[in-house]
Amino acid sequence: MTFEFSGKLKTWLMIGMAVGAVALGWTWFNDDELHTRFWSNFLHNSVFFTGIALMAGFFMTASITAWAGWYVVFKRVWESISMYLVIGIPLMLIIGLGIIMHWHHLYHWADPELIDPNSEHFDKIIAGKSGFLNTKWYIGGTLVLGVLWILVLSMIRKKSIAEDAGRDATDYSSHYGIRKWAAIFLPIAGFGSAAMIWQWVMSIDSHWYSTMFAWYTGASWFVSMIAVTILVLQYLKGKGYYQNVTDEHFHDLGKFLFAFSIFWTYLWFSQYMLIWYANVGEETIYFKERVTNYPVLFYGNLLINFIAPFFILMRNDTKRKMGSLGFTAGLVLFGHWIDFFLMIKPGVLHTAHEVTGGHGHHGDHADHAVHEAAEIAHHGAGHGAETAVELGFTIPGFPEVCTFIGFLCLFLFFIFTMLSRAPLTGTNDPYIEESLHHHT
Amino acid sequence: MANTTDIIYGLYNDEEDLIRAVKEAKSAHLEIMDVYTPFPVHGLDPVLGLSESRLHIAGFVYGMLGTLTAFLGMTWIFTKDWPIIFGGKPHWSVPAFIPITFELTVLFASIGMVVTFYIINGLGPGVVNPTIDLRITDDKFCIAFDKKEVDTSKVESFLRSSGASEVHSKTI
Repeated sequence: MTFEFSGKLKTWLMIGMAVGAVALGWTWFNDDELHTRFWSNFLHNSVFFTGIALMAGFFMTASITAWAGWYVVFKRVWESISMYLVIGIPLMLIIGLGIIMHWHHLYHWADPELIDPNSEHFDKIIAGKSGFLNTKWYIGGTLVLGVLWILVLSMIRKKSIAEDAGRDATDYSSHYGIRKWAAIFLPIAGFGSAAMIWQWVMSIDSHWYSTMFAWYTGASWFVSMIAVTILVLQYLKGKGYYQNVTDEHFHDLGKFLFAFSIFWTYLWFSQYMLIWYANVGEETIYFKERVTNYPVLFYGNLLINFIAPFFILMRNDTKRKMGSLGFTAGLVLFGHWIDFFLMIKPGVLHTAHEVTGGHGHHGDHADHAVHEAAEIAHHGAGHGAETAVELGFTIPGFPEVCTFIGFLCLFLFFIFTMLSRAPLTGTNDPYIEESLHHHT
Repeated sequence: MANTTDIIYGLYNDEEDLIRAVKEAKSAHLEIMDVYTPFPVHGLDPVLGLSESRLHIAGFVYGMLGTLTAFLGMTWIFTKDWPIIFGGKPHWSVPAFIPITFELTVLFASIGMVVTFYIINGLGPGVVNPTIDLRITDDKFCIAFDKKEVDTSKVESFLRSSGASEVHSKTI
């Protein structure tokens, strides 16, 4: 059966995208002179959904390489989600281009004065990292890795669709081809995603680094990807498609949601505890800032992304019931969006304060104190302490949520378009029978 | 042994045959005493009409007990009983307690479940369980009936017709 992307759904998704566009436009015109809020929202949502697409490709290829069969009945969903890279990578390239064109100041390291030894603003730490934290790496990495990811994943999708086209079901040659490309994709995606996470997200806090960061962010993306998969499958099943996706498949997806929520927490905690325990100023400043100025989001993050899925999905039956599973998937998807908010916004806000000298933000009395603290902490430490609540920075405001909706609708629009182009279930996949009779 | 049971049992070569036979026995209202398999067979429990094990509920309780023991124990030790400063951290250092709390949760849950499982099933050191046929630990699937509960001739014909490769009687 092929999914028919109905006009009604299209209209709703277009309305969602329009809401997002209006929200982005509103933030652009009600922003500081650097358009910090606009660009950080843009980066936040671009990175979030690009990563989800990459993780779909990663998990799909990992499953192919592991000769897994259970997911085959809905493999088109992962193929479609992974193809969103076609949109996500250009969005990241716009951010990269923005660094060169000085459209934004999201990345502290992008300031050339910091790495000029003759400048009074010379920053030894950032200069030491400039071999990797530079525009060539940022844009080159995004371009080369992004294109590689897209090429390999579209190759897999093409072969997967060709497999169905009237071929003999005992001819496994295209499946062997898929398997080969999947194995090639794994190291490129594994190592490449780590490098790009450092560039895209971690380098916002240019002085700071963590060796756990790529894992932690990757886990966040992964959980979000599973959540999106569950929600898309539930929607399609409700619309009468995918009747062959049973409670057994949802049960396994629920297990992945549960397990990888715990995995995410494990990485989150490992990163936090090692930094807390070692108590080195340059490292603790990252958490000090978030615990002090973002307490609701900081603890809420753990509540939504660990406590809730852990206790809701612990039982067998909650993974099999559409209500509890769908609710948790939605909650966790939003929770990981918040997680990325916490990764991106504090550093961006700090950089903006530095660039504007603390006077750029509209009518904020705390800015002066912020700037002074930032000056003190500038060498070696990195971040000053914020004190005031700033909508869009210390908590997501209404425009942020609308921007999220906009990007989500763009993402879904793309996925549904991709889904409508090929039969939802591949009939000639060698593992299809196993998947149809899947039993957990 | 004081209590012996006369049983009749059939051996099957395949788990699919076994499940099919169990279904037939259920629909023929033959009272199955027990089914023995060399490995866990998927889908056998619902066919046999067994209710879901409650062992995991016990496991959850044990786990919570472990969580509380570790967390409250460390809290008492490091704040009241013997406060020592480690690395300039406060006495009540929650992040440092988490790994141990996690470990004790797992330890309590796992050992508690194993002990509960052994007690419920009457297992323990020195217990000898009669094995109906040694091959059920290798490659045979067995359905056993208590002769007191069923009509032996009916069961025998059922076992033969449902694909059992062997039918035996035994006293255990």
